Amino acid sequence: MPNASDLATPTPTAPDTGRPDDSAGERFDRRLGLAKAGLGVVAIVLALMVPWLAPDAFILSVAVVIASYAAFAVGWNFVGGFTGYISLGHASYSGLGGYAVALLTTHTGINPWVALVLGAVVVALLAVPIGIASLRVRGASFVIVSIALVLILLLVFQSWASVTGGSEGLRVPRPFDSSVLRPEQHTRFYFLFLVLIGIALVVWWLIDRSQFGAGLKAIREDEDKAEALGVPTFRYKLVVFVISAFFTSLAGGLYALWFGNLDPVFQFSILTGSYMVLMSLFGGIRSLVGPVVGAVVVGYAMEVFKAQYGDSQFHLVALGLLLAVVVLFMPEGVVPEVLGLVHRLRPAATSIREESAAQLLERNRAIDAERRAQTEATSEREPVEDPRHATTGKGRS
Amino acid sequence: MTALITQAVILGILLGGLYALLAAGLTLYFGVMRVVMIAHSAFLILAAYLAWAFHRATGIDPLFSLIATVPLFFLLGVVMQRFLLSRLKPATLTMMSVLLTFAIALIIEGMLGFVWTGTQRRISLSYSTASLEVFGANIAVVKLVAFGLAAVSLLALYLLMKATSFGQALRATIQHKEAAALLGIDTEKVAGYGFGLGLATAAIGGTALALDSTIYPSLHWHWIGPLMAIIVVGGLGSIPGAAIAALVLGLSQSLLQIPLGTTWAQTVFYLALFITLMVRPQGFFGGRLAQRF
Amino acid sequence: MKHSTRRSVLMSVDQAGGTSTRVSRPGRRRAALAVAAAGALTLSACGLGGGGGSSAEGEGEEGDEGPVTIGISLPLTGDFSEPGKGVQRGYEAWAEYTNANGGLLGRDVELIIYDDQSNADRVASDYEKLINQDQVDIVVGPFSTRLVVPAAQVAQDYGFLFVEPAGAAEEVFTQGFDNLFYAAPAIANDHYNYLAEHILAMPEGERPTTAAYASMDDPFAQGTAYGLKEKLEEGGIETVADEVYPPNTTDFSSIANKIANTGADILVGGTQYQDAVNLIVALQQLDYQPRLAAFSTAPTNPEFPEAIGQTDGILSPTGYTPDADYPSNAEFVDFYTEQHGNPPNEDEANAWTTMQVVAAAAEANDCADPSPECQQSMIDWLRENTVDTVVGPLSWDAEGRPQAAHLIQQWQDDEIVIVLPEDASDAELSYPKQDW
Repeated sequence: MPNASDLATPTPTAPDTGRPDDSAGERFDRRLGLAKAGLGVVAIVLALMVPWLAPDAFILSVAVVIASYAAFAVGWNFVGGFTGYISLGHASYSGLGGYAVALLTTHTGINPWVALVLGAVVVALLAVPIGIASLRVRGASFVIVSIALVLILLLVFQSWASVTGGSEGLRVPRPFDSSVLRPEQHTRFYFLFLVLIGIALVVWWLIDRSQFGAGLKAIREDEDKAEALGVPTFRYKLVVFVISAFFTSLAGGLYALWFGNLDPVFQFSILTGSYMVLMSLFGGIRSLVGPVVGAVVVGYAMEVFKAQYGDSQFHLVALGLLLAVVVLFMPEGVVPEVLGLVHRLRPAATSIREESAAQLLERNRAIDAERRAQTEATSEREPVEDPRHATTGKGRS
Repeated sequence: MTALITQAVILGILLGGLYALLAAGLTLYFGVMRVVMIAHSAFLILAAYLAWAFHRATGIDPLFSLIATVPLFFLLGVVMQRFLLSRLKPATLTMMSVLLTFAIALIIEGMLGFVWTGTQRRISLSYSTASLEVFGANIAVVKLVAFGLAAVSLLALYLLMKATSFGQALRATIQHKEAAALLGIDTEKVAGYGFGLGLATAAIGGTALALDSTIYPSLHWHWIGPLMAIIVVGGLGSIPGAAIAALVLGLSQSLLQIPLGTTWAQTVFYLALFITLMVRPQGFFGGRLAQRF
Repeated sequence: MKHSTRRSVLMSVDQAGGTSTRVSRPGRRRAALAVAAAGALTLSACGLGGGGGSSAEGEGEEGDEGPVTIGISLPLTGDFSEPGKGVQRGYEAWAEYTNANGGLLGRDVELIIYDDQSNADRVASDYEKLINQDQVDIVVGPFSTRLVVPAAQVAQDYGFLFVEPAGAAEEVFTQGFDNLFYAAPAIANDHYNYLAEHILAMPEGERPTTAAYASMDDPFAQGTAYGLKEKLEEGGIETVADEVYPPNTTDFSSIANKIANTGADILVGGTQYQDAVNLIVALQQLDYQPRLAAFSTAPTNPEFPEAIGQTDGILSPTGYTPDADYPSNAEFVDFYTEQHGNPPNEDEANAWTTMQVVAAAAEANDCADPSPECQQSMIDWLRENTVDTVVGPLSWDAEGRPQAAHLIQQWQDDEIVIVLPEDASDAELSYPKQDW
């Protein structure tokens, strides 16, 4: 489950060893760690209590929508956060996930939950050739393909009416029988989304701490250098891309089961994809809980905005302005910014810095050397946390 | 049948011409800045709306709105490059510029809807339905005007690139920015003007579009896909590549509509895009530049 | 306009019969923004719940004391905003008219209208809000088939009656909704029934033999065109072109090229508005002249004649004509014309009809509240009974399909006249049509 202390911003480990105010710094760190943990626990408890706190079923349905946003954003952030490749077309995978669930349940009659997972696996498999086409070259083509994919899927799902229902839409059968009333359905789906978010975050966290994750982050910082360092960039990008498609598709399938109706125009919409980007970016794509925080804040803001300026096109302007502000002034996102502020309060604070390619180079070299030298089998070592090498790099080039 | 095909070929070329102009602008941004300009087609629709509003307010032929919109868009482009895009960190420029221009596209779409509502608009001209007969095919006058505009602008762009010192600087910047800077070219300034030029093509394209088509605020999504596909097929950053790809794809779309129908024919752009990336990621006409993006 | 989405049209009637409209603007904005700043999830519930606080004015535990609140979500922005606004005008006109004439069950009527931004997710969320938070007494439908289905699902889940003005496509009625009623004379596929009969009844030599169809990929538009296609094909009229285009199509030159090349006698457009105009202009550019041309929806648009120039001979089905002599129609037309300066269109009429249907059900059961008993009794009543409306008497089958037929109208001498069926017609159908 999300825990604020797992934020990906590397904790400034021991750069100030031996300095006189070290103990103060350590005390600060301890307190900060406690505060983060406390905040995390409070957030989790609150999230779990939403169905009982919601005054009516409408609020509960909004909570389900926001939870779905969070699930989409976390799914998106596998590729966006680790590699820095911005996909504007992740609605492709959520839409495909929805259609996969609907078609599997209606045509084969299998259990909807099995269909959900099976559908996501199918979508993940489809993502392999798409990834191969779009990841061979650098970012620009990737973005173009991501947009093109949404548009092509819109055309196909609209035209291929005999299978997809076309513009008439497709009903998704209810996973619960009719004795489960609508508010109760909201509650159940809310928790299902929480579970999905939890699983996705755990996977994200595991990747983040692995060497695979370190390689991905190296790609994000400088793909050329990462490649020169021997990171199998293409394979790494492809794997994380497929994972991202899988989780996004699961979220899309879950949403389809909840909403009960699919229409290509709304499923394959670039706007939906852009929400995922905005939310992740707003919260901070490099941090574990960033996309969740972004989804809650932005999703809630969108609801409020809709309630206040509903009958004008200003909601698009607001969305655009928000995105522009985030891109121009806080591309790191809110969570890292806030954490940065907190860390600046730290006695003898060191500036917090993302790992640069140079640092990685140093570290990888060190690891390699270490490996070669090693005779005892301590292969499970955690490279990221190794303090000896983490600080030897120069600043970002 | 031959009449059908002749007509389709002519329509395809006319359509391809418009695509060529618009794609030229899009690939130009990429060339000078390594920026995927999502808002290009939003500016296109903005120009179309300005032409429509100008025509509605004055009753004068919408083509005259170009006198104002072309310089205006050029300036907007320069301003956008200087004050927005150049603020982005070079390391993440390509990705962040996508988002920034996407945001601009949303703002334009929202403002168009706010000012002129979502109602579909169409300029009604005395020569809207007029056509010329050539080789047994009917060519609408408005389509010819639009094609003429596109052809003249592309030619002007070509001459500018080939025959002026600014064009030389622009090409140098596209080919190798650092080397161009070493040669004493103010690449930032050149990039700004390049951006302005790109946006000016959107002004011309939008006006041409407004002559013979309905416009509405969210129409830009419809254009962005084919244009993106064209510049990848043509090779990112290559203006001649974009123009050739535009003509080929426009013609294919028009011909494929006969057996496949409107919807499936549109997929030709995306198929071409995927095939290009699989077979020749740098594009069919692009140079060394496209290889890395 | 900018700030209020909750737009309650509360009419106070004075002796002279003058009316005033009060548009309520609950001051929720500041509070909501403050909450947004706080950002906590629990608080968010309160912020969005603001509407609940103001529901006291709308509706009450005191039952018959307060006004009858009717909840509606409409596409006021986005792709369907044009017809959506027409429907809104119709609903609001009815509310004002009703309040000026004694109200519904003796209570004032208050409308709560939300904008769904032409988005299916939004429309479901809006009805969720109307039912749970605003606790409206009655909900009525949005515009467009694409939005009716998700909305009807919400209404059904909460046991609400769902009368709707715009979901005409066949698919709406095959989803198993038992609460849904379409408040217009006929579903999309039956719009051209009179025209099909008329064409097939023509003498052999005169009767057209080939037909071309072009339809937007939209359930409603396709329903109208394909309903006619089916009947004409059965009658032996050959289909020589059948083109479907996505809703966002603006370039019709290729479609026009194919149609013109077939030289079909009949041209049928399953169209909305601009696509019809674009298609006709493209066909004019190719100088194609069909002997009979019919388009759904577009020809009644006030801007249609200016957009295409020569309209004479163009046919269109309509569920409504301001000239119809149904009992309530004259009052509707007078009231609406006085308010807006022009007679109502089909969208306004459908909205008005929807409200007439709901009002009839409420009055017959002497209830208008959200309780399952009241809603169910209204549903049951509508299954059994016929309601007199401005589009004629309406009754429904078990799935909610209306059982009447659409009229066929034609442009003649720059005016729209009803040409079919003969017993309701103002003029004879002119055939073949003049060149455009």
